[in-house]
Parts: sequence; structure tokens; C-alpha cells
Amino acid sequence: MLSVRDLGVAFGMVQPLSGVSFSVGKGETLGIVGESGSGKSLTAMSVMGLLPLSGGRITGGTVEFDGQDLTKLPERAYRKLRGGRIGLITQNPMTSLDPLKKIGPQVDDVAKLHLGLDAAAARARTEEILGTLRIPEPALICDRYPHQMSGGMKQRIVIAMALTADPDVLIADEPTTALDVTVQAQIIRLLDDLVKDRDLALVLITHDMSVVAQTCDKVVVMYAGRAVEHGPVEAIFDHPRHPYTQALIGCIPRGLVEAKRLTGIEGTVPTVVNYPDGCPFHPRCPRAQAVCATEPPAFSVAGDSAAACHFAEVAHAEPA
Amino acid sequence: MPNLLEVRDLSKRFTSAGGPFRKARSMHAVNGVSFDLPERRVIGIVGESGCGKSTLARLILRLIEPSGGAVTFDGDDLLAKSPAQMRKLRARMQMVFQDPYSAIDPRYTLIRAVAEPFEVQGVTPEKPMAEEVAELLEMVGLNPGLATSYPHQISGGQKQRVGIARALALRPSLLVLDEPTASLDVSVQAQIIGLLEDLRAELGLTYLFISHDLSLVKYFCDEILVMYLGRAVEALPDTAAPARHPYTRTLMESTFEPDPKKRRLIAPLEGEVPSPFDLPPGCAFADRCPNASGLCRTETPALSTETGHAVACHHPI
Ligand SMILES: Nc1ncnc2c1ncn2[C@@H]1O[C@H](COP(=O)(O)OP(=O)(O)OP(=O)(O)O)[C@@H](O)[C@H]1O
Ligand SMILES: Nc1ncnc2c1ncn2[C@@H]1O[C@H](COP(=O)(O)OP(=O)(O)OP(=O)(O)O)[C@@H](O)[C@H]1O
Ligand code: SF4
Ligand code: SF4
Ligand SMILES: [Mg+2]
Ligand SMILES: [Mg+2]
Repeated sequence: MLSVRDLGVAFGMVQPLSGVSFSVGKGETLGIVGESGSGKSLTAMSVMGLLPLSGGRITGGTVEFDGQDLTKLPERAYRKLRGGRIGLITQNPMTSLDPLKKIGPQVDDVAKLHLGLDAAAARARTEEILGTLRIPEPALICDRYPHQMSGGMKQRIVIAMALTADPDVLIADEPTTALDVTVQAQIIRLLDDLVKDRDLALVLITHDMSVVAQTCDKVVVMYAGRAVEHGPVEAIFDHPRHPYTQALIGCIPRGLVEAKRLTGIEGTVPTVVNYPDGCPFHPRCPRAQAVCATEPPAFSVAGDSAAACHFAEVAHAEPA
Repeated sequence: MPNLLEVRDLSKRFTSAGGPFRKARSMHAVNGVSFDLPERRVIGIVGESGCGKSTLARLILRLIEPSGGAVTFDGDDLLAKSPAQMRKLRARMQMVFQDPYSAIDPRYTLIRAVAEPFEVQGVTPEKPMAEEVAELLEMVGLNPGLATSYPHQISGGQKQRVGIARALALRPSLLVLDEPTASLDVSVQAQIIGLLEDLRAELGLTYLFISHDLSLVKYFCDEILVMYLGRAVEALPDTAAPARHPYTRTLMESTFEPDPKKRRLIAPLEGEVPSPFDLPPGCAFADRCPNASGLCRTETPALSTETGHAVACHHPI
């Protein structure tokens, strides 16, 4: 459905994103995971054609959706696609909601714009969508303002807006990060059901490896503006081949399952102005060699997964 | 081990002032919380946003005055202490905050940040100050050469280490850690948690660890207190204990494992967290609870401690 190849992004002279590739099909959930500043949101904005808003531009690669390259799409055509066949959900529901407008009219607008419905039909569509999302008493909710609702309910409304035009692809950028865990679980369940029931292609962006393990079929691991490893979710968790992925998994508390000590990773995530040369992970990598500091590693492919590491094979041979 | 901390029926009521169009409202941010913390143990306080975790921490250190209840620290009744006595005692009970950015003054170098507790307490360290600070920085895994840096020159993880160094300066026995890793990346969180584990073993510290992350609490703590809307609803005596309170079970079922082979079936949860103002009578979880009965809507369940696994529920699991 959606296929990104070797995507690069620049703001003036800085290049915060390069070499990002992934694809996601109908009924499939792809997770993009990485620590703060790794380029997850930039990837989402690139796909949505929203980079120009913040002064960025795509410097290379393709974003293919349903047979056409979106990087060459004029803004007018993009406007039809956004909120139409490709939906976006962001971390803060208030970036998508107008605080001064009641919920009903806000969701109605999507149906009017993208489905060409009249006021009555649009409201019917709104109530139908709210009902599918198990929002109690849709008619009552339509009459409320955003500030009269909880964070979880607002996020549900944003999901409703993204679904109104029956999109093929939904990009969710940290949709549950600001929410309590019990609410997060409900939203995750909702997204899972939508993928199954509507054959939606879901791109789920998160920094939480547990959320990835719970929901995704495939995973892209990002570090310092690059995709460093991608593959099926079981492969990523059971046999990570990239030293960063391995280290990241060693950082997650597993409660009682394995009471082994968290390993942590020496040093800190680099910022865009000091991305290292060669392999971006080399200053923190326990396996780094001289070549890692100068040569950017290419992807080493094994089965369905690929790791951008000079020594990925070695990494696989050792117990993770 | 004897109890280092005993908390009894601790409560805090906040009142919002009324205005011409609003009536004054009040809420119980912390409502009758009791627990014991033996020396050298780690208790985790877990619960969702707004359930009163930070307020409980502040009450225990008496940074705010309780509306009722008692706190005993190492045999001393804290609420009977004068401000001067309290200041002295506070050297032995220190707090580390969630936001490493707010805790240290951006205008001063780290040496000053770490030396500050000595000045505040009017304590002269045994060694020269520079040496003392260097030692503290080393203890938390920072290069003593950083002492002359300013906060903006170091990372979030390093700032949190400075926060811990400050808290350790006066050799406390109790550290209250209020979400010390919530603003950090997981790779840095793991470093800080490792550091706290080492310090605990080395210095024989007792921790009260606040978090909304149940996996982290299960990993790091010996026992767990679960809070919901100001009340302690369950006290798990160890981290393997199964949930007896329906809310704790909901919390556990909402916490995912970092393992695709252990996916959860997420049961739909009805209702929302009620407003903490003007809570209706009975159990605050009743609107979301699958076990709720008529009794639950009229009578607030008390924390029963009969079995050593305390739970506040009329129909525990
Ligand atoms: N408008 C911009 N101009 C310059 N650099 C930018 C801009 N927006 C983002 N960046 C940089 O690009 C990098 C990636 O940012 P991005 O927001 O995609 O990270 P992220 O993975 O979404 O992080 P987080 O988990 O914190 O949301 C960061 O180093 C950021 O500073
Ligand atoms: N100084 C105050 N005045 C009035 N209300 C307050 C005050 N401090 C806290 N509250 C309220 O008391 C309740 C408990 O707040 P508290 O900060 O203790 O929660 P918490 O469990 O630490 O939440 P979080 O996980 O978001 O940090 C909240 O409803 C909060 O709005
Ligand atoms: S390329 Fe080198 S530095 Fe990068 S992850 Fe592989 S071994 Fe480590
Ligand atoms: S007291 Fe009743 S409503 Fe409250 S948790 Fe127990 S069973 Fe549920
Ligand atoms: Mg982001
Ligand atoms: Mg708090």
C-alpha cells in the first residue's frame, strides 16, 4: 500500500534523516520505533507531505502510495489525499482539534470535504464513525467542546476524524504517549480492530518497545535519523542483528519475566548537529571497529530482515 | 529489618477557591493512606496520572502539611517536629524529582549545585568541598571534571545524575524518587536504574520509588502500593503477587510485555476515571469495575490487612 525507499530530509544545511526505507500492506501494522530525536516524526511528516510547512524538503528517495510517487505530487493533489486516503493521528489530540468548535461540526467537516456529503449525511456519517469506535452516545458527544472531554476521549475523536473518509493508510505518531496505560490499552485495541476489520495499513510510531511487541507485524528501528534495522516483529525481538537493537532490548524492564539487570547504553543519543560520521551508533557501540567511524554501513540482509551494520552477521552469531 | 518509615492514615485535601461564578470545591488528593517501609527495602508507588503519588511523597517529607494522619521516620513523629528540627531531619530523607531540568539552577555550575545541600543545612563536610563534590560526582558515575560545567552543557541523563548526587550529599537513609526516569530515553533510564541499584547496595539505602510504569516498578521494587484516586487500593507484598483488586488487575492487563509471543487480549474497559472533585460515595472504581455490586456504590471499602496482602475491595479476586 505504502512503500518508502531511501528517504532523506534536509532543513537548510542539516540532514536529520537519511536512508529510511519501509513498506506496509493492507491489514498490516508496521512499527517505527526509536528514541527521542531519531527521526520518527520527520518520517511521518515526509509521508504526509507536511515538511514544507516547517521549512524542510525531501532530498532523496521515494514515497510510493498506490502506484504513484508522492514526493512528486503537487500540493493541491496532496490536500485531497491527506485526511482522505491517508490519515494522520498525532500525539497531542489538540493539534488536530479546534478548541472553539463543537466535536460534531469538526468531524462533519471531514466528511463534507473528502466525501462531498451534505450537512445531514455528514452528521449521519459522523455518528456512525463515533459508534464504530464505541464512543458512548455519539449524538451527545457531537454537542460537546474538546475541553469537556478526557484526553483518551479526545484521542478517540481524532481517530474518528482520520477514519471518516475511510482511508487506506493510517499513520499514528505516538498516539498513546500522553495517555494513562489503561487508556493506552483501549486505544491500541481500537487500532488493532480497525486494521483487522477494515484492512487498514497502519504505521504506528512509538518509542515504546512493549507497544511494538503487542501490536506490530513488522518493525523499523531508527537511530540518529537512520533506519538501522527492519524485519518481522518476532525476528527483531528474538534475533536482533544490529547492536543498537540488541542494546535497546536490553534496556527494557521485563518485570519478573527475567529479573536480569538492565544493560543500558553508554553515552547519549546524538543530536542532529553532531550526528557521527560512518555508522551513527559507533561512539556507543560495544562492537565498533575502526571502519565503523568512517564508512556508513550498508544493509546486510538475512531472510526478511536487514541490519545496517558492518558486523551484523557477527552480531547474530552471538547470543543476544 | 525495623521500619524506617511508617505512614498512617495520611490525607491531604486541596480546596480550590470559589469565585463569583464558581463555588469552592475540595478534593482528597491523598485519602487515608497507610503503609510501612522497612529499612533497606524498596517500595514502589504506582498509579495513573493524578492519583496522588507526588502529593504522597511531599506529605511524607513534610514539604506540604497533611490534613490528617501521621508519619514516623526512624521512630520520630515527623508531624510533631518544629521547622528547625524538621530541617535537620530532612538531611536524612531526600527527594529526586522527575524533571532534571527544574531541580538544578541553570545559572550555577554543577559544583555549586552539588554543594548546595551542605550550605542549606549549614553542614561543613569532613573533606574540603571540592573534594567532597568530586567524590559525589564519581559516586553517580559522572566525570569530576564536569564540576565546572553549567547545566545546559550536559544531557538529561547527566542532569538526573546530578540530582541524585545532590540528594546523596548529606548521606541520607531514605531517598524518595518521584518518577526519576520519566523524562529520559530508555537507554538512559536503564543507566539511571542501574546506578540506583548500585547505590542501594553500596550505601544500604531505602527507596520510595514513584512511577506510572508497572513493568519498571516490578523490575526495581520489592513491594508495591497501588493507588487510585487518592487511595491505596492494594499493597502487593512482593512483585510476583497476583492482583486481588480489580483495578490492579486492569493495570496489569494494560501493561504490555516486550515480547511479541506474549501479546495480551485487551478487555474493553467501560467508563472513565471520575472527577476527583465531589466523588460519589462508595468505591471510586465502581463505574469501571466488572465485579461491582450495590454495596460497592454505597460503602467505601477499607484496606483490609488480614492476609498480609492488603486490598481495599468488597469483592476481591
Ligand atoms: N524543523 C526542523 N528543523 C531542523 N531540525 C529538525 C526540525 N524538526 C526536527 N528536526 C530534527 O530532526 C531530528 C529528528 O526529529 P524527529 O522529531 O523526527 O524525532 P522523533 O524521533 O520524532 O523524536 P521524539 O521521540 O522526541 O518525538 C531531531 O534531531 C530534530 O532536532
Ligand atoms: N497544590 C495543589 N493544589 C490543588 N490541587 C493539587 C495540588 N497538587 C496536586 N493537586 C491535585 O491532586 C491530585 C493528585 O496530584 P499528584 O500530583 O499527587 O498526582 P500524581 O499521581 O503525582 O500524578 P502524575 O502521575 O501526573 O505526576 C491531582 O488531581 C492534582 O490536580
Ligand atoms: S557498524 Fe560498527 S559501530 Fe555500527 S552498529 Fe555495526 S559494529 Fe556497531
Ligand atoms: S469494591 Fe466493588 S467496585 Fe470497588 S473494586 Fe471492589 S468489586 Fe470493584
Ligand atoms: Mg516525534
Ligand atoms: Mg506526580
